[in-house]
Amino acid sequence: MSILYSEEQQAIATESRRAIDARADKTRLLDLIERTGAYDHPFWDTAIAQGWTALAVPEAHGGLGLGLIEQGLVAQATGAATAGAPFLTANYGAIQMLLASGDAEACGRWLPRLASGEAVAAVAFAEGNAPLRPSPAAVFAGGHLSGTKPGVTAGLAADFAVVWCHHAGEPALVLADLAGASRQAVDSFDNARLFADLTFANAPATLLIEGEAARAAALDALARMAVVTAHEQVGGAEALLFAARDYANTRKAFGQPIGAFQSVKHRIAELYGLVEIARANCIHAASREGEGDFLQAAAAARLSATEAYDTAARDAVQIHGGIGVTWDGGLHLHTRRARSLAIEQGNMLFWEDLLVEQLSGVAA
Amino acid sequence: MSDLEAYRLKARAWLEGMAPIYGGQARAGLSLDEDLAIARRYQRAKFDAGYAGINWEPEWGGQGLSPLHKVIFEQEEMPFAMPMGYFGVSLGISVPVVMRFAQDREWAKERVLAALKGEEIWCQLFSEPSGGSDLAGVRTRAEPDGNGWKLNGQKLWTTWAQVSDYGVIIARNDPAVPKHKGLTFFWVDMHAPGVEVRPFRLAAGDSHVNEVFFDDVKMTDAQRLSPVGGGFGTAIAALMIERYSASDANGFGPPIEVLVELARTAQINGRPAIEDGRIRAAIARSYTLRAGLQSITTRAMKLMEAGMEPGPEGSLNKLMSARATQKLAELAIDLMGNLGLEWTRGAWTKENWVAAWMNAPTLRLAGGADEMLLNTIAERILGLPQDHRPDKGIPFNQIPA
Repeated sequence: MSILYSEEQQAIATESRRAIDARADKTRLLDLIERTGAYDHPFWDTAIAQGWTALAVPEAHGGLGLGLIEQGLVAQATGAATAGAPFLTANYGAIQMLLASGDAEACGRWLPRLASGEAVAAVAFAEGNAPLRPSPAAVFAGGHLSGTKPGVTAGLAADFAVVWCHHAGEPALVLADLAGASRQAVDSFDNARLFADLTFANAPATLLIEGEAARAAALDALARMAVVTAHEQVGGAEALLFAARDYANTRKAFGQPIGAFQSVKHRIAELYGLVEIARANCIHAASREGEGDFLQAAAAARLSATEAYDTAARDAVQIHGGIGVTWDGGLHLHTRRARSLAIEQGNMLFWEDLLVEQLSGVAA
Repeated sequence: MSDLEAYRLKARAWLEGMAPIYGGQARAGLSLDEDLAIARRYQRAKFDAGYAGINWEPEWGGQGLSPLHKVIFEQEEMPFAMPMGYFGVSLGISVPVVMRFAQDREWAKERVLAALKGEEIWCQLFSEPSGGSDLAGVRTRAEPDGNGWKLNGQKLWTTWAQVSDYGVIIARNDPAVPKHKGLTFFWVDMHAPGVEVRPFRLAAGDSHVNEVFFDDVKMTDAQRLSPVGGGFGTAIAALMIERYSASDANGFGPPIEVLVELARTAQINGRPAIEDGRIRAAIARSYTLRAGLQSITTRAMKLMEAGMEPGPEGSLNKLMSARATQKLAELAIDLMGNLGLEWTRGAWTKENWVAAWMNAPTLRLAGGADEMLLNTIAERILGLPQDHRPDKGIPFNQIPA
């Protein structure tokens, strides 16, 4: 994997931005905040039409067989637009775990439907602030799953979930059809993420992987999703950087553009630094897919991208002044998304500890 | 293995062979004169082995290789604490300017060759007591004098002026025009009558910078390196020549592995410090920043290898690494507590936290203060407006002092 994008990859980046921009509508996105269970259909139609749902699915299962770099580039475009559906990242995680399971029946059933966009997945790992609890509370036994997974991204719309649970005292990954689960909407600050508390009461489920292999597969999938999300965060942070820059160049106060004041221009220059550090870490992490140092590369990407997006969300609003805190101005779409993405795939605390464990061998 | 990788391995092997003679251990405890003598021999050894002027044209004594080869060599050279600091400005800025702009080409060739061999050293006389960041505000005067020029004034912060044979200098030839327009660029003989060099100590204890006084110093017109009044452009060109040089994501401090090791051995509340969340957070954030800077460098080198221009993000390195190292060194000293109070004079900043901490304030100012670098990013990369400049457009001699 190269750290330089190929022409094909550059084309994906350009084309995905263009396709999203062509149908972007801030009013529609603002409306999604007010309701649970709704997502942006025009965006999702675009994603399917552009083939983004098929990116990471092997060709044998109807996909394009591309990798993390391509998935990341599309995520970056969706992040810039605060796209109104969360399915691409969760689907990508589910695809990785289906492939890791080697379960031909499950792969044959779900991968072509994920590739075509007919089905969408959720990844139900986290319990509270732990993205991957060593002993998860949900229990799988005798082909059935019991327990609750709170705040699952895409949980309100997904057809199935890959669930981190335990099975006979060992960790396990199981696939549960969400027709058999009850979904309670979380009325959240970013409702387009379709967060749901998923409750399984003896729901039918299929064991994908168990034991140490399950732990490794879950961590690998989480790290991959974290790299995709980090790209999305970079896209968002960069959009805010540009918005702040453009506003500072046009808005005048005291007889000059506010961007001529160092308190403003330095704040924007600092954002540039954070965005470029995060972008560099993302590019590196995507190029380390499947390598021995992938976890630490993923952690670095995730940490710097979360810092960049959160900081950009704070500072871009500050630079916009009053217009930055109005509903119709819409900057809060990014403020909200910066925080929801900071939680999805694990918070900073988790990734800091994981990175230091990778560097020192000492667990937290 | 690519040609570049082979070049890297060959350079590393050569450097490993030289390290016992010229590296950090060989230099420990030497006086300035002794160290300079070793440095000159090292520079000569580099010249003889083909590691001087790596990306310069062969007609100028160079190797005719790419900037990438030069950066690769510098990256390999960095860990050995070789005595290359004396030649940094000389070969990085001053001599290339002479090579490009000197009127007497034969004379220039002799100087370039002598500098490449470490026989002569050049300094760069830009900053003054009244300003460093504000380069166009220099007050040193160059006045017509017969067929030549006469130099009067004072420079400050001149790196290694005390060992320099020549310097390149920017001076004001016309105070009656706006500040950028009345400057001219020259080379000057540092041994000429009327030049006085006074080293002074920095807060970290070392004395590599100087005050330089010019008292009726005569220059011929052949020493002029720019059109009369066109010196500012030449000065900017001078600063751009060294666009490609090895950067250090560690901010010239110890690598993160050294902090991890310290955190394993130090204890907090009876437990290894590496288990403490505050320490883990600091390590994780430092690693993340350094990995990002490193990745920017790696990508820039790949772009150069592919014949493309690296992006402007390469300019982030000094700004972000220097201040981060300053804070990380504070944390390391915290971890050592009163076992970390020792100040070893002349210790290497890449091995010693106290040395890194004491060097950091200088690093954050030298070659562009943090604030100037942020201005440059904002204006050049992001297209934000310049600051309000009350001295803009008015004759230099009417600017309120």
